[in-house]
Amino acid sequence: MNASSTIAQLHRERPKSQLLRGSALVLALFALWALVSGEIAWLDLFCADRLENLKRFIATDAYPHALKEDGLSLGGLLGWAGAIFEERGASAALRTLWISIAAIVIAGGVAAVLAPLGARTIMNCDPFVIDSATDRRRCFLPWTQLSSCVRIGFILLRAIPEYIWAFLLLAMLGPSAWPAILALAIHNTGILCRLGADTIENLDKRALLALRMLGSRRLPLLFGGVLPMVLSRFLLYFFYRWETCVREATVLGMLGVVSLGYWIQDARVRQHYDEMLLFVGMGAALVLLGDMLSLGMRAWIRRAR
Amino acid sequence: MTSTAWKTRVAVPARRPGPGRGAIVVGLLAALGLVALWALELSPAGLVPLAGGRAIAADFFSAAWQPATEYEGTAGIDGSFLLEILSALYRTVIFAAAAMSLALVAGTVLGFLASSTWWAGDPALLGSPLRRFFQSWLGPLVQGATRILIVGQRSVHELLWALLFLAAFGLNTASAVVAIAIPFTGMLAKVFSELLDETDPESAHSLRAVGASPIKAFLFGTLPRALPDMSAYAFYRLECAVRSSAILGFFGYPTIGYSIRLSFENLHYREVWSYLWALIILVLCFEAWSAALRRRFVA
Repeated sequence: MNASSTIAQLHRERPKSQLLRGSALVLALFALWALVSGEIAWLDLFCADRLENLKRFIATDAYPHALKEDGLSLGGLLGWAGAIFEERGASAALRTLWISIAAIVIAGGVAAVLAPLGARTIMNCDPFVIDSATDRRRCFLPWTQLSSCVRIGFILLRAIPEYIWAFLLLAMLGPSAWPAILALAIHNTGILCRLGADTIENLDKRALLALRMLGSRRLPLLFGGVLPMVLSRFLLYFFYRWETCVREATVLGMLGVVSLGYWIQDARVRQHYDEMLLFVGMGAALVLLGDMLSLGMRAWIRRAR
Repeated sequence: MTSTAWKTRVAVPARRPGPGRGAIVVGLLAALGLVALWALELSPAGLVPLAGGRAIAADFFSAAWQPATEYEGTAGIDGSFLLEILSALYRTVIFAAAAMSLALVAGTVLGFLASSTWWAGDPALLGSPLRRFFQSWLGPLVQGATRILIVGQRSVHELLWALLFLAAFGLNTASAVVAIAIPFTGMLAKVFSELLDETDPESAHSLRAVGASPIKAFLFGTLPRALPDMSAYAFYRLECAVRSSAILGFFGYPTIGYSIRLSFENLHYREVWSYLWALIILVLCFEAWSAALRRRFVA
């Protein structure tokens, strides 16, 4: 047997998966179909009307209205932006931040309670199984089925986008920050629960088994073993989701909650596109601030672990 | 040797009694949540719908268990409602798939350029001055510029990109697709570059040691090891793209959000729930698919 035949043999015997290949093929074909099916009007984007629109947008609409007479100067631009920021931007940005914080704290609190219910290692006749034979022992509660139901519940929570939740809740609760907070909290509870349950399932079982063998029952096991072990990981997810909450809280304002999105929508309706761009820029700055805060907190948690 | 072994055995973390650091952090976060509610001047009373809202809420949530199978408003609509649900779902997925196919290509390229492993090479092995120029000047410059570009793309939400394009171009489906693709490119590129940089460089190093060029070492040493995680993340992003494209419907694009909004504003709650259940089932299917793929990757 020479070297080349060995390589050919290795190539033949490499692990293959029909599912992976089939999925890749289906996805690639569908992506191609999506691009060429005509459902998306690519050529329309480059027709004369659109380009005319774009030219007008850049040259007149997006040009700061207040500076039409004096001409564009850095000082004037900063003065105009600063005035709007002081008048509306600062308070809206602060509200956006508070909405995101309230939402993620609620989501985190609820998820801390619900996530263990979806972890199949705890929701088991014999938590963190000592002996796989006992797995078949009859239990009073159908633990596995219960946890599967809870898992489906997690998916239901996150399947509907925040924006749709907020739209629906706004009609019921009336205009306050609650619809935005609840919408963000519902969606993120679903995601945090799922991540938390996965983390619990992937825990190193040895310490928990030791507790079990010392006679610890399910709840003490949960509070004394599982939660302290997953806390830092859970906090990582908490801050990671908070980042997206800041992004979404900005946007949810467009439905009528006074966050940055409210003023973006307001400027859009009044066709003050210069203001709209400014508020979008403020939103981007806020998101960056949130990203950096979250990055710092996560680095701190990783170090403290 | 023996002394270090002795040390490690005795180094038990000293813990003072009382609340640990974790408990303090959790307490502070909870307090921050309360401060947020106070700053927004919210009370639990706001959670109870007003009289009008209560009627809407009761109607709406009771409709959840009896989604419509045909149009509720009969006036002047022909065609099957179920077919309309399916075609709205189809358009939603088409938008998401088109956006993802753009984002995946651009995100992969930008992700490579933003990663440190792409630019990594052993300076000692570099002979020509041209190579050295690439390594020490062009590399950091392009990498830095790419990272700034990625941050810019990510920091503006896809809906806001869509609004900007709406203002700049008018209603056009291609601009909606690009609006989703831009922030998704940034997110894919960021995560791809992090995954590549976290990959164990050993296989790339050994390929380099037997004479592979840096590019080959990257493509055949680093990339295959990061590929499972990258694919899993891309698939998760596809799911997110479906949700984003659904929402774009609220701004007049022909995805499922448009139908939801229309039915809700006509007070046809059972229709709304048909759309919502359809969206939920779609997401469940994606979830099952991606779980199956992930199992295959891990094995």
